[in-house]
Amino acid sequence: MGYAIHDLEITDPLPPVSTDATQSGVALVVRRGGRPIGFLMHRLGPGQTMPGDDLAQLLAALLGEKIVAEGLREELSARAAADPALRARVPMTPPSVTAAVCTKDRPALVARCLAALVKQRDAAAAAGTTLEILIVDNAPSDDRTAALVASHEGVRYAREPRPGLDFARNRALAEATGELLAFIDDDAVPDQWWLDGLLEAWRENPDAAAFTGLVLPLELETQAQVLFESRGGFRRGFEKIRHAGDTRVENAMYPAGAGNFGAGANMAFRRDVLLALGGFDEALDTGAPLPGGGDLDIFFRVVRAGHPLVYEPRYLAFHQHRRERRQLRRQYWTWGTGFMAFAEKSYGADAGARERVRGIIRWWLLHQVGQIPRAMLGRNPLPMDMIVAELLGGLVGLTGGYRRSLRRTRRIQARHP
Amino acid sequence: MKRFVPTRIIDLELAEPLPDSLEASDCGAAWLVFWLDGVPLGQCELSASQFPIPRSQLESLAAEVTAPAVAHHLLAGPDVPIAMPLDSGGTPTTDLARVLRVEAPLAQLRARLADRGDVDASRALSLVICTQERPDALARCLRGVAALAVRPLEVIVVDNAPTTSATRDVVREFPGVAYVAEPHPGLSRARNTGVRHASGEIIAFTDDDVVPHPDWIERIAQPFADPRVMVATGLVLPAELETDAQRWFEKVFGGFGQGYRPLLYDARFVGAFRGRGVPVWRIGAGANMAVRRAAFERIGMFDERLGAGASGCSEDSELWYRVLAAGGVCRYEPRAVVHHYHRRDPEGVARQMRAYMRGHVAALLCQYERHGDGGNLFRLGVSLPSYYAGLLARAALGGVRLRRRTILGEIAGCIAGVAYYVGHRADAGSAVAPAPVERPSKSAPARAGAAPSASSGSTR
Repeated sequence: MGYAIHDLEITDPLPPVSTDATQSGVALVVRRGGRPIGFLMHRLGPGQTMPGDDLAQLLAALLGEKIVAEGLREELSARAAADPALRARVPMTPPSVTAAVCTKDRPALVARCLAALVKQRDAAAAAGTTLEILIVDNAPSDDRTAALVASHEGVRYAREPRPGLDFARNRALAEATGELLAFIDDDAVPDQWWLDGLLEAWRENPDAAAFTGLVLPLELETQAQVLFESRGGFRRGFEKIRHAGDTRVENAMYPAGAGNFGAGANMAFRRDVLLALGGFDEALDTGAPLPGGGDLDIFFRVVRAGHPLVYEPRYLAFHQHRRERRQLRRQYWTWGTGFMAFAEKSYGADAGARERVRGIIRWWLLHQVGQIPRAMLGRNPLPMDMIVAELLGGLVGLTGGYRRSLRRTRRIQARHP
Repeated sequence: MKRFVPTRIIDLELAEPLPDSLEASDCGAAWLVFWLDGVPLGQCELSASQFPIPRSQLESLAAEVTAPAVAHHLLAGPDVPIAMPLDSGGTPTTDLARVLRVEAPLAQLRARLADRGDVDASRALSLVICTQERPDALARCLRGVAALAVRPLEVIVVDNAPTTSATRDVVREFPGVAYVAEPHPGLSRARNTGVRHASGEIIAFTDDDVVPHPDWIERIAQPFADPRVMVATGLVLPAELETDAQRWFEKVFGGFGQGYRPLLYDARFVGAFRGRGVPVWRIGAGANMAVRRAAFERIGMFDERLGAGASGCSEDSELWYRVLAAGGVCRYEPRAVVHHYHRRDPEGVARQMRAYMRGHVAALLCQYERHGDGGNLFRLGVSLPSYYAGLLARAALGGVRLRRRTILGEIAGCIAGVAYYVGHRADAGSAVAPAPVERPSKSAPARAGAAPSASSGSTR
């Protein structure tokens, strides 16, 4: 049922990869010199082994052009770096970074993430970069998260009593001291080169105000996880992407294919720009039963304010997807309501975008409904219940989800002055 | 209707350092084309709001869009990929070790590309340019021809159905360019006249709305080193994208682009598509092609029922169909580049699309008539109608804004094509009689002012 995840370095001899008696396939995280270049899910059957040679052929066939592309990029980059005019330039000092984890009542998950962040911090310190770690405990029921943080030296703790992810994110924004503020979900774990990837994106795009990273699965143990990842998961590809202004020349969906910008599970911002934009919209992402969409919204506002947003695959985190089908359905529902909330908000707040937003909503509805025939024929990787959940979420959202959410947000704020 | 802002075409030569920051002003979008030592490797389009573009992003873009062509050049075996129905992108090899050995791909590729090939175009290749009362365009084209790094054996301009002396006057300004008048209208007719006056073993064709790349002639000749190759076609890039109509043609219609990797078309290609109509239009464009003389002698010349001035177009692809049917091989060679000036005005585009469909449908019927391949009828009777029905449905729902302006014209063109074919059936036999090719004596190539050729064949 599950898939065995193997992390492969393509410049090393490839080991055989196998599945145990309960697994139906392998998922390969493929790297070249540490940099992720591909992710492949390959059916294998339980208790099977794919020998290294077969694996090599598969990777050559599917990733050969990507490997050549990487070679080209490095060659162009090296040539530019060898340019005497460039070498004469003063190197930029890397920015200070705060890694913020917003969490509610999940100390075991936070512990896992924290352990990896501490490793990053220590490695960064050795290289002369500062990484501050901040845990924001959102309306906790007990002190377990506080105790966890206390047991780690040098890790900061902040409590946000108002329940809701965007309240927590704004608390992180207020408390952080780093020039860059990087959010990582509590059910995620940063990769070994996570911080390197973020700093690389910053170096190459010093004018960018937002950065999103690649998100790969931490485990593929349940059917719901396999389902989600095989549908694309949170992946946005293995190319560096720079979004500036109206990126897609004739894309009616833009900017909210903003889902294309990246995932909220692994994103970073220039703190000064985030403050200037007023932080996260607290009416979004306030958890069930309120709509999601806080990351869509912030990406949209950053780009609309004229700041480039950069997607960098090397800025990698591994995320533990929802294990139960029921939870995954809930997630799809939330995406539906979140999308509509964001759309409704844009409709109201942003006069210039109104016609676009109408088009976006129409496109989204047609897209969702269009999935149904394929699902009925059994040809859609996404099963019917997920499609319906997202569509219903959207329809409910369409009926004023954002406005209702605003009212609830005000009530929450009133309770916690 | 929002004001249209042009698309700027920017050529980036990867043998040179990339700019620190690439600017593009006064445009709505930019079309970047990446080259290496004058060989095109890939393209991408960017919205103007993404500019200025930092060098690191240019490097990523260049790497991403040129990787397929570079991978092909460095990793494919001697056989060029067969053009097959499925878009089999992906690597030309499954040997991972070989792929990983590609370090410094640009340096490796430069070394490969330095080998220019063995065919001497200056001795083997004649260039035929057909034109009709477009003296300014023709002059621009001939200036490009004068700048060719390797000059062909001869350059022949065929003045089709002239009403003034404008063309003759232009040709007079270019010594070394021969002038031939062909009073009977029709591109196929004019081309056939050009063939009869040419003495080269290979005859290349281009149009008056084209400017060739300086290396074009040299490169379009090389595929003929392989004796199986009867036809070579090359890459046609837009010369400018300044008007809405030009952008439409390139983006919505697809322009003439067939990609940056060389492709081989042979009997396998025909076999794969036979049932549905072999898509011979994919092989290339008449604005950039060369044909071996022996092929004309074997299968005949261009069908004079087809082409501009007759049914509308497809006189080139119908010839390629005959080549393939006779077991010959066509080769698409993207290193041979010309720049085409698409029509600037929307009325011109609408008319052109109507003419294209008329010619295309007439060609389908000619192909069926000659070879009995039912796929041509399938395409005419099933594929095209359902395609247009779908387009109409989507246009009605407000989807396909950009296609709407030409759909009705295209459909009208299809119907006109059937009518044209039916009306010209009588010409079938005479149109491609492999008339003996008159070769002028080698010591006296046709000069400007030569008398019009006595045309053989049908007088219709």
